[in-house]
Amino acid sequence: MAEDPTAAMAKECKVRLKISDDTIFEVEYAVAMQSQMLKNALSDTGTDGTVPLHNISSEIMAKVVEYCAYHVNAANTISEKDVKIWDQEFLKDLDQATLFNLIMATQYMVIHNLQDLICQTVADRIKDKSAEEVREIFNIQNDLTPEEEEEIRHENQWAFEEEGWPEIQEEVRLEG
Amino acid sequence: MDESPKKELAERRNTSSHLHRKEETPSWHLGAPVDIFFRSSPCRIVVVNAQELDHPIIYVNLIFEQVTGYRADEVLGRNCRFLQYQGSFAKTRYPLVDIRILTEICRCLSEGFDFEGERLNFRKGGSPLMNRLYIKPICNDEGIITHFLGVQSFKEANFDLSPLRGLVWKKSSGAIHTHILGDMYSQKSLFVHRDCSFKKCCPLYKVSDEVLVVNILARLTPRDVTSLGSVCHRFYNLTKDESLWKLVCQNIWGQETFSILESVARRRRLWWGKIVRELTTLEAAAWRKLTVGGSVEPSCINFSVCAVGSKVVLFGGEGVNMQPVNDTFVLDLNEDCPEWTHINVNSAPPGRWGHTLSGLSDSRLVVFGGCGRNGLLNDAFVLDLDEPQPTWHEVSCSTRPLPRSWHSSCILDGTKLIVSGGCTDSGALLSDTFLLDLTMEKPVWKEINVSWRPPSRLGHTLSVLGNHKILMYGGLATSGPLRLRSSDVYIMDLSEEETRWKYVTGSMLPGGVSTCNSAPPPRLDHAAVSLPGGRVVVFGGSIAGSRLETKVYILDPMEEKPTWRILYVQGRQPKYASGHSTCLVGGTRVVVLGGHHTEDWMLTELHELCLINLKGTD
Repeated sequence: MAEDPTAAMAKECKVRLKISDDTIFEVEYAVAMQSQMLKNALSDTGTDGTVPLHNISSEIMAKVVEYCAYHVNAANTISEKDVKIWDQEFLKDLDQATLFNLIMATQYMVIHNLQDLICQTVADRIKDKSAEEVREIFNIQNDLTPEEEEEIRHENQWAFEEEGWPEIQEEVRLEG
Repeated sequence: MDESPKKELAERRNTSSHLHRKEETPSWHLGAPVDIFFRSSPCRIVVVNAQELDHPIIYVNLIFEQVTGYRADEVLGRNCRFLQYQGSFAKTRYPLVDIRILTEICRCLSEGFDFEGERLNFRKGGSPLMNRLYIKPICNDEGIITHFLGVQSFKEANFDLSPLRGLVWKKSSGAIHTHILGDMYSQKSLFVHRDCSFKKCCPLYKVSDEVLVVNILARLTPRDVTSLGSVCHRFYNLTKDESLWKLVCQNIWGQETFSILESVARRRRLWWGKIVRELTTLEAAAWRKLTVGGSVEPSCINFSVCAVGSKVVLFGGEGVNMQPVNDTFVLDLNEDCPEWTHINVNSAPPGRWGHTLSGLSDSRLVVFGGCGRNGLLNDAFVLDLDEPQPTWHEVSCSTRPLPRSWHSSCILDGTKLIVSGGCTDSGALLSDTFLLDLTMEKPVWKEINVSWRPPSRLGHTLSVLGNHKILMYGGLATSGPLRLRSSDVYIMDLSEEETRWKYVTGSMLPGGVSTCNSAPPPRLDHAAVSLPGGRVVVFGGSIAGSRLETKVYILDPMEEKPTWRILYVQGRQPKYASGHSTCLVGGTRVVVLGGHHTEDWMLTELHELCLINLKGTD
């Protein structure tokens, strides 16, 4: 169907996305192409219709579009260092629920770079944290009985120890 | 409002048509993931009435009847739990059915969330069925849940239903079909909760196991992943999943290490969780003795070995009449009775000793330098063991490093040979570092220029850390007019723009007293092995005095203050180990050949340091 060269499409076409509360997001073709899923969908059906994305809310969609729009422009013009700084700003005030909704939205829409960014952020939050701290961060209820906890802790003892190899105490003599 | 869905469903009772058709817009949206379930494979559909006691089934589709063997009229009005009983006569649910999943389902249903997971069910006849289940609450216009829709796709369960074994390292019955990194983004795996009219909850419950494992948990270190097992039941189960450990291994130790370990894991049927744990703690490290068949004849010393896959390859050496030899021998440790085999090669390089032999990717190896019949050499030859008629090919280069012996070498990225130091014809020691990129059509030796070099030396080791760092240790180093054994450690990061040698630890003076009294005795011609994660294990070699020592030392250069530590290894250690006759096979066994005594020269008795427990599960 797409006889037109992609460049022409990119300049002129807007892609319409219909989200959960039936509002329509209009995004530029190039921005929509950041999503592999949209890329595949649109290559079959063209850009005339509306793509339904019932499971994504408007706040999440706004964030996704914000990210994709910036990265489309940043691709060749902005330095890597500045892009990283922008990314950190983008993440800054996102709460837990938004982060996870973004993970799922990027999973569905297949946007690798945004998904990597967010998942790495979540992973960084869990790194080096104790089980209790992880529960607090994610508001997880502890459904383990004390006996189970004890058993699990015993099983996983190695993970809580620092490397237990002793240092060398012997003296090293001068060579003759 | 309650009536119309029921009537619709009753009408469709005996068809397997989709509940969601394009032309109609039902008052409740099912959402994309359910569509995907429908499209991809035939699904069983069950609808239960959420407002009646014990949630009786009000509709099942034809596929349900066909797959489970239960007819619709047998199950209507009952609760779904009968699917967990093995066969229609069982009175209680089968023990392997994960209670935690059931608790999870109950919790989701009572709080009104979607549920997705896997569960063990049984057909009417008693055969097991692994059930990928998706339950969605269905609300009327006022937001009250009236029904639950269950969509189930199935795969055969193929685990052992005999009396339960111990829980240690049990294979998770909720095995997640994760794809190894290349295919991470499976559409089937996700769902997004439609709106937030339900009470505030933990956001993690919205995310499916697959998304959690592949995208988040796989990025953590082994210790972090393991400590997550104490968070809650769901996390504990996830940390038991083999696929997660494979992903963790790939992520932190790299694809190359993963591929090497994978062939060992597959062959010996080892649990990945155990492999990762043992390579992190080295708790299972043990010395073993191995007797092999065949022999290396004519016998020689000062040969070099390297590992290619599961094979140990030996080349060159100094023969009985002190003449250099150029035979190639192979020992395949994967065989039931490993035997030294002489390989008939074409165009063998000139005989030599004091050379280096290193394994490249794809069953190839490269030899460089050494002392030949007429003096020191600086030629490089490559051999591909997989060729039907293995042939050594000389790497032709216009300019080469100085001829040398007792230098050290390592391979970066499976393709780049790095050579450093050694002894020249005149007896002078070298301190240069050269790189040869064997992926190029016409490889060229490139000297790595640094502003400062460690003292020149021979008999030291170069180990690779990760993809782009090398670690130099020990050797006999120049110290003014003297040559003394060294205990210094230097690292170079080849990805930096301005490469330089960084001092890590040691004495700063070859042979001198260590400042913190915690370095192994200085040595040369020792064995140094790189472990996954950038740690280095060192043992053997020649140390001052007549002490023979093969204590094993380990260093983690990534620590804030890298400190040598002693690794206590079970089993009897060999009396002698030298760098050029030691190699790491399959990422898990360090094979030590040879010894001081003549009977050792036959190389039929080997020692190996097994880093992990290689006895698989059965």
